[in-house]
Amino acid sequence: MQRRHFLGLIAATAVLAPIGAPAFAQQVDVEAILRDPAAPTAGNPKGDVTIVAYLDYNCPFCKQSAPDLKRAVEEDGGVRLVFKDWPILTEASFYGAQLALAAKHQGKYEVVHDALMSIPGRGISKPQMLEAVTASGVDMTRLQADLDAHADDISALLRRNLAQAEALGLQGTPTYLIGPFRTSTLDYDGFKAALAEARRRQAEAK
Amino acid sequence: MVSLRLARIGSVLLHFGLAFAPVAAVHALVPPDANFSVEAVRDGDALNLRWTIAPGTYLYRDSLSARLEGRDAAIEVPPGETKEDPTFGLVQVFHGAAEARLAHAPPTGILEVAYQGCADRGVCFPPERRSVDLVTLVVGEARIALPELAGDNNPPAAAEAASIATAGGDAAIDAPSVAAAAADGDPITAVLGGNPLVAVGTFFGFGLLLSLTPCIFPMIPILAAVLAGSPAPPSAGRGFLLSSAYVVAMAAAYGAVGFAAGWSGQNLQAALQTPWALGGAAAVFVLLAIAMFGALDLSVPARFAARLTGGSRGGSLAGAAVLGFGSALIVGPCVTPPLAAAMLHAVQTGDAATGAATLFALGLGMGLPLVAVGTFGARVLPKSGRWLGQVRPAFGAIFLMIALLLVTRLLPPSQGLALWGAFAIGLGAFLGGFDRLAATSGWSPRLGKAAGLVAALYGAMLIIGAAGGASDALRPLAFLTAPPLALARSEPVEVVDTPAAFDDAFAGVAGDRPVMVKFSADWCTVCKSNEAVLADAAIRERVAAMPAVVVDITDYDDETRALLSRFSVAGPPTLFLLDAAGREIPGSRLVGPITVADVEARLGRAGL
Repeated sequence: MQRRHFLGLIAATAVLAPIGAPAFAQQVDVEAILRDPAAPTAGNPKGDVTIVAYLDYNCPFCKQSAPDLKRAVEEDGGVRLVFKDWPILTEASFYGAQLALAAKHQGKYEVVHDALMSIPGRGISKPQMLEAVTASGVDMTRLQADLDAHADDISALLRRNLAQAEALGLQGTPTYLIGPFRTSTLDYDGFKAALAEARRRQAEAK
Repeated sequence: MVSLRLARIGSVLLHFGLAFAPVAAVHALVPPDANFSVEAVRDGDALNLRWTIAPGTYLYRDSLSARLEGRDAAIEVPPGETKEDPTFGLVQVFHGAAEARLAHAPPTGILEVAYQGCADRGVCFPPERRSVDLVTLVVGEARIALPELAGDNNPPAAAEAASIATAGGDAAIDAPSVAAAAADGDPITAVLGGNPLVAVGTFFGFGLLLSLTPCIFPMIPILAAVLAGSPAPPSAGRGFLLSSAYVVAMAAAYGAVGFAAGWSGQNLQAALQTPWALGGAAAVFVLLAIAMFGALDLSVPARFAARLTGGSRGGSLAGAAVLGFGSALIVGPCVTPPLAAAMLHAVQTGDAATGAATLFALGLGMGLPLVAVGTFGARVLPKSGRWLGQVRPAFGAIFLMIALLLVTRLLPPSQGLALWGAFAIGLGAFLGGFDRLAATSGWSPRLGKAAGLVAALYGAMLIIGAAGGASDALRPLAFLTAPPLALARSEPVEVVDTPAAFDDAFAGVAGDRPVMVKFSADWCTVCKSNEAVLADAAIRERVAAMPAVVVDITDYDDETRALLSRFSVAGPPTLFLLDAAGREIPGSRLVGPITVADVEARLGRAGL
């Protein structure tokens, strides 16, 4: 009797079990781009202009513009910077992105980010990235623990970034969304000019 | 510190597999050949590759690589221009054009070429990969992936004591590569052409999805019978072993079909639907049913008995494996879409290994819940015997049902309906529908009588319906009331089963409108439900206005096989549109059960 009932239950559950596949909407969701709760941020959280940076840790142009971006944001004081790790160039980029995002849980995302961006050139391997992260003074035991605990969230965030980039039609790294503008590599003066123009347009729109 | 979380990999793969369906809408990051394009020219035994590089962009010399049949192929690349790379120093790049040479290029096969570059204005593009067909030298399948770069020395994570594991994330990053390829129109084919590991994982996911559908139902009682074949219930471990043997055998059957398809280029599944195979299988199930009812004592020579029944441990691995293998082949048509795609790919590329592996993964995915049932169910089993006597007739009834399912595929629908009616009346009698109740009878006999009466009444209706020519088990008496559902078609429907007849029919109906071609068979139950979908009010008129040719492959012979291979159809139900010149309209093909939305999309795309 019991076995019959059990088999019947299984059959009923199989019929009733929802089969829905998650639907990933592929349209551009501005809120998701600007205010993804998992994406690391820097600068002034109440800044009036937002820069969204899609970066890869093996991208020479990203590394070239990284110090200029940092300097421009710090000096400006009114910029909210959102980092979107977009590891599209190499497998090692993906590895570096995971390390950096795991470090976010101990508040050290920017430390790791800067460490990785300081390794000159392209074709950096995973061990080289790991070395740089270790040397940056991050708690490695905690990093491994966070990496294991939050692996799903990290993968989900990276997938979201990938999806957003494709929905926006971004061509490659780096891509900076400065207010309403989309641009690739800029130097310090370029960033300042873009920020100024973005603010001018905001003022005009009001 | 190093730990490979297999569960994480599995869950990421599963998420990827589950999420795969809607990803077909994602576009490629860069339109193909926008900045870089490559072409191939033969030079005797060698192959010359030539890249065209758009102005303002450049390719890295160390990113040019090629793979032949999954292995790195050495290509000779001349030195490039030296360039001061931002933050790095000197690298070698190519502007305008680049060349490489593969010294020994076999006459057939697929060469995968990878390259990556940046633009002077300050952006780096994701690596690109193209496939060069060595026979035709056609370059195709632009995909964006993460190749192993020539200069990227990656010791395996396990070797480094201090390195941090990637926690199985690699599967996720392949999402854009597969998604980009989906621009072809058929996402499943795109998966198969991609990374084999990804293909296997996706098919595993498909299998798990299929296990949630009624497709899996016929297997449950068979598995239960395997587990029940002993006086004592098997332990959880034994239950796990038995059900795993069953599932692995089932998956192996699928894998064997995939391998055979790739090897021989033929559709074995359809061959197994022939009257001989079906009749034989039905006979086996009838025998098993009679044995369950106790009328027949199936005993095996003592020598084999111990081995087959596994002694006192309950059930036998060999028996489970045999049943698993057999049930996979019989239940086959239920899994048509992924099976069709996998087999098509195996046939077209002759890649028997991938075909076998992906179908094996599909079978494993389908069987995974069965393993859970086998393990978990084994623990729930009661201690001993009286229930076995009660359960065995139930299994007998189920086996009879399976035998009927097989046999009705061979018969015209009305006769099948009559057989089901007889079965239902018999079931009613055994449930107690015609037993005499006493005033003191408890709820169990009363319930049995009620159920039996319902079954007998339904059986009677089925028989009456069969006599009236009905074919739908759910509406057997519909012929009494409403006029037939089939519309007066403004366009003719031709039913053919030979290539010559198809050409005649097509010539007869072709005009300025697309022609709908449907592959169907008498034994294909999904085809019937598809017909009902096509008669839905929302699309009925547009469908009726289209000339249609139905290819009936009930008789599986050389002619129908020729038609199947001509249109690359793995099995029914398959539906597609042909334009006036007889070419298939790309993206119009539908395999397996269809929905109104599917058809509407296809009609819209064809401009109807």
